Amino acid sequence: MFSFLVARRYLGSNPWQTALLIAGVALGVTAFVFITALINGLATRLTDDVTARSSHVSLEPADRVARILPNPNPYLKTEAVALVSMLQRKQIRTWAATVALLESQAGVAAISPQITGSAVLVRGEAAAPVAVTAIDPGNLDAISPVSREIVAGDARLNANGILIGYRLAEAMGLSVGQPVMFRTDRGVERLLVIEGIFRSGVQSLDERVAYISLETARALFVLPAGVTNIEIKLNDTGQARAFAQFLSGATGLRAIPWQDRNSSLADALTAQAQTGTLIQMFSLISVLIGIASALSLSAARRRSEIGIMRAFGVSRPFIASVFVVQGLLIGIIGASLGCCLGYGLCSWLATFSKPDGSLALPIAPAEGGYVLVIVLTTAGAVLASVIPARSAARLDALEAIQQ
Amino acid sequence: MTAVLDARGIGMTFRNGDELTPVLSDVDLALQPGELVALLGASGSGKSTLLSIVGLLLRPTAGVITIGGERVDILSDAKSSLFRNQRLGFIFQFHNLLPDFTAIENVAFPAAATSGGITGVMRKRASELLDRVGLSDRIDFLATRLSGGQKQRVSIARALMNRPELVLADEPTGSLDRAAADQVLALMREINREDRTTFLICTHDEKVAAGCARRITLFDGRVDDARA
Repeated sequence: MFSFLVARRYLGSNPWQTALLIAGVALGVTAFVFITALINGLATRLTDDVTARSSHVSLEPADRVARILPNPNPYLKTEAVALVSMLQRKQIRTWAATVALLESQAGVAAISPQITGSAVLVRGEAAAPVAVTAIDPGNLDAISPVSREIVAGDARLNANGILIGYRLAEAMGLSVGQPVMFRTDRGVERLLVIEGIFRSGVQSLDERVAYISLETARALFVLPAGVTNIEIKLNDTGQARAFAQFLSGATGLRAIPWQDRNSSLADALTAQAQTGTLIQMFSLISVLIGIASALSLSAARRRSEIGIMRAFGVSRPFIASVFVVQGLLIGIIGASLGCCLGYGLCSWLATFSKPDGSLALPIAPAEGGYVLVIVLTTAGAVLASVIPARSAARLDALEAIQQ
Repeated sequence: MTAVLDARGIGMTFRNGDELTPVLSDVDLALQPGELVALLGASGSGKSTLLSIVGLLLRPTAGVITIGGERVDILSDAKSSLFRNQRLGFIFQFHNLLPDFTAIENVAFPAAATSGGITGVMRKRASELLDRVGLSDRIDFLATRLSGGQKQRVSIARALMNRPELVLADEPTGSLDRAAADQVLALMREINREDRTTFLICTHDEKVAAGCARRITLFDGRVDDARA
């Protein structure tokens, strides 16, 4: 295309000005990439922190409602209402089929059927309430990395075993191998032995949580067949809401995505993303204003040349295309350069870490929104060039030549 | 024989707010194929305006213009652009070449801009034209590296690129020294003689006018036609 040659010559005729213009675009794009990588990295870190010890989707028994049944006698106007007993235990009886369904789904990283409930640990005259999570001993770390956090004893759960947090152990003077009376909210009690003591770093967990095996819990919580909940980890936390919706429809159970359990975090992430979008928009707008003003100056500087072209019959669309192509080239080159710079900057920043090994800046160099920024910058640069292109194309040939 | 240019009753009045300034009034002008015509007149006589009207750069307020048998004063902007490109050639006094392009690219530009690029055929034609104007050794020189006379010779080659029926020259020697002006004039005469290309040269240079076969003088917006 001949307009490409002309545009390239125009850009090449003033290399310093063109270099500055491209550098301006590249810097704006670098800022965009940095902000995007930082916001995405921060969101990933916060999400990971929040979901590190919890599931991404929880399945619980559906809420009970009173159902209206059809009246078997069509001559009677009254409606028969079947009240589902609110006294019945809420549980998932078909949990094995649900687990089978989950195992067939791509994107599911881990599944943990659980019995959860409340109990009291009693030792002598001391008693402490605990939140009990009963899990499959062979799948101990499915949801929370329990075994990695063991500071005394083993991450083993046999029929009489119990794992408790170090704060609870300290409070009750318990150590590994010692027996403790375990009394559930169902009024069943049994002597269990401390198999391991964990330290998660989360005070509430270390003070209040205890793990026992699923089979042990069946007798203690009087649940011979069912489970109270199924916890699921996904490969992509962002898919939790959609997957929960799918599960809810497929199983009839109540599926709760992690965002619903942490709505304040979800709101904070949304607000953070919106702030980031504003910053990205401003950086792009400043880039586009730069392109528009530089090309407008170029169009003004080349009035006489445009006049000559118009005089020997070069069409207005061709003149306009020369300026649009300049915008396109500046956009593509500037955006590509800015992406490289942004990636380099983010990768460099990602090498800095805190003494504990975590990143000093929660930045995700791979998530800089590169394709988006190239498309937006290029499209924006073309749009920004439309004003100078129109002004150049509208130039009166005679007036331009006479000047 | 069909006239290359036939302009009848051309009038041009400029409006500046409520003020009307008549520049041309009832001008008739006809050029036959192969003519070399000088358009003379004092400064402000309207000769550049007439040239611009004939070159479809300005629409007259009155009159009818026919070029090569086609009425052109009523053409749309896009059509008059294409007409200028295909059937007219222009030589200006200043700002004649595109500075970021080489001599051969400048010559080929009018053809390339309407067909998407410089083809081999265009390059050959442009090269022949540059050879003809004596610049075969400057083909790949940027326009900025050429002297004033060389630039004007390149612009003559460019004006001829699309084999126009009529070449319009506005003070083509006005910014040149005497030697360069003589070269440019000789070149236009040679092309006119050999190719029978019609030239309408707007000038106030008596020597240029003397080199033309016919001179038309504008006086107070009216024509005084004289043949040599």
